[in-house]
Amino acid sequence: MSSEVAAASAPAAAKTDGWEPKIVAFCCNWCSYGGADSAGMGRFQQPASTRIIRVMCSGRIDPLHVFNAFLEGADAVLVTGCHIGDCHYVNGNDKTKIKYKYLENVVHELGIEKERLQLNWISASEGEKFANFIRDVTAQIKKLGPSPLKPEGVA
Amino acid sequence: MQKGEMYVGWSTKEDVRKRGGSGGLVTSMLAAALEKKLVDAVVVLKKINEFEAVPIITSDVNEVLNSAGSLHSVPSHFAKLIANRNLKVALPAKGCDVRGIIEQGKRNAINLDNTFIVGLNCGGSMHPVVTREMLEVMYKIKPEDVHGEEIEKGKLIFETKDGKEHAITIDELEEKGFGRRESCRYCTIKVPNNSDIACGNWGVTGDLVGKATFVEINSEKGAKLLQNAVDAGYVQVQKPDEKGVAMRAKIKGVMEDLGKKWKGKVFVPIENGRLEYFRKELEHCIDCGACKTVCPTCSCGEVSKCTEYHSRGDAYKMSMYHLVRFLHLADACIGCGQCSDVCPVDIPLTRLYRRFANPVQEQLKYEPGMDMRKPPYFEVKLNE
Repeated sequence: MSSEVAAASAPAAAKTDGWEPKIVAFCCNWCSYGGADSAGMGRFQQPASTRIIRVMCSGRIDPLHVFNAFLEGADAVLVTGCHIGDCHYVNGNDKTKIKYKYLENVVHELGIEKERLQLNWISASEGEKFANFIRDVTAQIKKLGPSPLKPEGVA
Repeated sequence: MQKGEMYVGWSTKEDVRKRGGSGGLVTSMLAAALEKKLVDAVVVLKKINEFEAVPIITSDVNEVLNSAGSLHSVPSHFAKLIANRNLKVALPAKGCDVRGIIEQGKRNAINLDNTFIVGLNCGGSMHPVVTREMLEVMYKIKPEDVHGEEIEKGKLIFETKDGKEHAITIDELEEKGFGRRESCRYCTIKVPNNSDIACGNWGVTGDLVGKATFVEINSEKGAKLLQNAVDAGYVQVQKPDEKGVAMRAKIKGVMEDLGKKWKGKVFVPIENGRLEYFRKELEHCIDCGACKTVCPTCSCGEVSKCTEYHSRGDAYKMSMYHLVRFLHLADACIGCGQCSDVCPVDIPLTRLYRRFANPVQEQLKYEPGMDMRKPPYFEVKLNE
């Protein structure tokens, strides 16, 4: 996790009205990371709740990364990548898709709300979609409250 | 002899017939395979006492013949025993053993072309420790006095050394928490048709009851194994009567239905507080790693994701080890129950793993260990 970003924006008092969720978003270098970029360039407003982790391909996202994010205190984890068929590495996101199926089942069965883990395909030009996605997820998580897997003492 | 054929057979050796269950066919078939150099080694159980036995790999024909005699309370699993050894081997296997062996085969730890799997009917096995306790609490007899045991018409019968028989129905035992291991109760693979040759006493009728074994040939390897034993003069076979075949199908159906019923009873959906449930069950874990060591579908070895990314020092609400195991077993768990058996702090691990595996395997229509189909993860089509 990008620790300095997390530390800088960590709210002092958790679970109060001013509570901002912490959302870890895995973005692929070629599409969704570009999407986040164009969201900024297009000046689409979005809450400062996400910490973006850039990976070369969404296929690189191991379920282990997602577990780790949850265990370290993420309130939600987003898996994003290129649209199916548009993968820079031909079929990386096909692999993400099937991996995600397992992961989704296990996370749900574990008793974590399904809003806390989401998959979305966002291309580099879809800045507005990215911003809307982040806004929606943040609103959903604000309703749910902090993650049940958040360790003690982590905001 | 061909794939799909059925026979009823028994050993030609008087001594084996007397000691072995159901005519000693399996013992003699294994001995014949060794004698005629069809295989280099055979796995048999070496009896320690009435309740326990250890599996050994042997090339000695006499040792195989001496091993005759079945035990119900042996939960040991053979898949890991022969993994990574490159043996040409024949071995008896319960339904879950067969599934474990096939899963190891998929992971390139066992060469299935060199492995002759003799499947055995299995209605369930019992844990030795639980069996001893059960004898004292339910039967009021000393475990040391037990001479033999038998399952008949839904009753578990123990025979003591003074010749007396003590019978209690299995349903009653299981209500009190004894009897078969939990994973056996909800197991639905009672006749292992995924093996090379499926043997057992279900389907033997008339005078032959208790003196012969019903054989179902499931592959060419299985046909070769039986033909070899017949040619060597170790076993005798004959065609089964229609009544027997029908009876076998009936018993299989009844047992499988019972398994399904148990499945519903054990896996009651938890609507709220699932995370709390899992955390509570796992809170006593001492990180010994035994569940992974015995797991017949795990072939990662010592350096693996579940151990390398897990540290006892992490202040996490759930251990990374278990999370990774839950995920990896979602498509691989065969429900053999080994993990629960070996756990030193008695965590019902199989029940936890199955909670994740049941929905995933149902959704993906994938049953591990039943055929050579690769896990759905490997079926991702390229460029589509």
